[in-house]
Amino acid sequence: MHLDFFSVLPYWLVLLKGLGLTLAFTSSCAVIGSAAGFVLSLLRMSPSRWMKAATTLYVEFFRGTPLLIQLFWVFFCFPVVFRLPIPPYLSVVIALTLYMAAITSETFRGALKSISSEQHDACIALSLSPQAKVLYVIFPQALLRAIPPLLSNVVSLFKESALISSVGVADLMFVGQNISNSTARPVEFLTTVAMIYFLVAFPLTRLVGVVETKFLRRFA
Amino acid sequence: MNYQFDFHFLEGSFGSLLAGLRVTVELALASNVMGLVLGFLLCLLVMSRWAFVRWPAQLFIEFFRCTPALLQIVWFFYCIPMMVDVYIDPIVMGVLALGLNLTAFNAEAYRAGVQAAPKEHIDACVALGLKPWQRTFCVVLPQALRSAMPVLMTNGIGSLQQSALVAIVAVADLMYVGKSLATQAYRPLETYTVVALIYFALSLPVARLVHVIERRQELAHQR
Repeated sequence: MHLDFFSVLPYWLVLLKGLGLTLAFTSSCAVIGSAAGFVLSLLRMSPSRWMKAATTLYVEFFRGTPLLIQLFWVFFCFPVVFRLPIPPYLSVVIALTLYMAAITSETFRGALKSISSEQHDACIALSLSPQAKVLYVIFPQALLRAIPPLLSNVVSLFKESALISSVGVADLMFVGQNISNSTARPVEFLTTVAMIYFLVAFPLTRLVGVVETKFLRRFA
Repeated sequence: MNYQFDFHFLEGSFGSLLAGLRVTVELALASNVMGLVLGFLLCLLVMSRWAFVRWPAQLFIEFFRCTPALLQIVWFFYCIPMMVDVYIDPIVMGVLALGLNLTAFNAEAYRAGVQAAPKEHIDACVALGLKPWQRTFCVVLPQALRSAMPVLMTNGIGSLQQSALVAIVAVADLMYVGKSLATQAYRPLETYTVVALIYFALSLPVARLVHVIERRQELAHQR
C-alpha cells in the first residue's frame, strides 16, 4: 500500500489542540488526584478499623476494575444518582481523579512506610500536634521519596487519559481517530498520534530515572 | 437519592453476560501466557551483549510502555489489516495487541528479577560447565520468575483490565456486552455496576494473592 505521511501536516493545529486538552486533563487530575491520594493513604493508616476497611475497599475497587468502566460509570450513572446534569468534561475529570487518587494512595503508603519510627517518636518527644507532625515532618519526607513513583503514575494517567475519547471528549486520541476515519488514512494518523504520545511520555519516564539517581541520593 | 434499582432485567441477559465474560477471560489468559513467555525472551534480548540486538528490543519496550494501550489496540485493529491485507480474527488480534503490550511490561519486571540472581550462581554455572541455555533456563529463569512474581501478577491483572478496551473496537467481551445491554435497557446504573463488580471479583483474589506473596518475600529478606 501507499503511505503518505505528508497528509498529516495540514492537520497539525487540530492535533496540537487535542494534545493540549489531553495535557490539561492529565495535569489537573494529577494534582487533585495526588492530593486526594495522600489524604487517602493517611486514612488507610488510621487506627480506626472502619476507616481502614472503607479506604482499602475504595483503593482495591478502583485498582481492580478497568478505568473504562469507571469512566462509563461516572459518565452515565452520576447524573442519575445525584439527579444533576454533569457536563462531560466534569465527569471525565471526576473519573480520572478518583482513579489517580487510588493509585497514588498506594504510592504514598509505600513512602509513608519508609519513614523510620524514630521520626514518629521524635514528634511525640517534641510534643508536636498531629497536624504539625503530618504537615511538617511526615509530608515533606513522604513527598520526596514518592516523587519517582508519582511521576510514573502521572505517565500512566497520561496514557490512560486516551480513554476519555470514548465518551466523546476531543482529546488527542479522539482527534486522531476522527481524522483517520474521515481521511481513510488510519496508518498515517494513528502512527503520528502514537508518536506524539511517545514524545511526551518517553522523556517523563527518563526523568523518573534521573530523579532516582541524582536527586534522591542527595536529599533522601 | 430516590432511584428505583431494578436488577431483574439482567436475569434474561445472564447468558450473554456469561458469554462476554468468557471472551474477557480468554483474552486475559491468552495475553498473559504470551506476556510471560515472550516477556522473558525479550528481557534476554535487552540484556544481550550486542548493541544491535539490545537497541531494537529496548525501543520495542519503550514504545509499548509510552503509548496508550487504547491507541495500540486501535492501531492493531485498523492498521495491520490494511498493511498486510489479510483478515485476522478479532479475538486473535486482541490477544496480539494485549499480549505484546504485556510482553513489554513483563520484560522490565523480569529484568529486575534477573539482576537479582546472585553473581555466585553464574560463577557456579561456569564451574559446573553448564551450557548457556542451561544456565539461562535452569538457574536464572526460576529465580527471576520467583522474585518477579508479584510484579508479573500485578501486570497480569492490569492486562485483564486493559482487555476491556477491545470493547471500543467492537469485540464482544464483557465490557461490550455490558455497554450494549445498558443502551438497550436504558439502565446504565445497574448494568455498569454489575459489570464492574464482575471485573472486581476477577481481580481481587489475584491482588490479595500478590499481597500474601509480597509479605512472604519481605519476611524472607528480613531473615
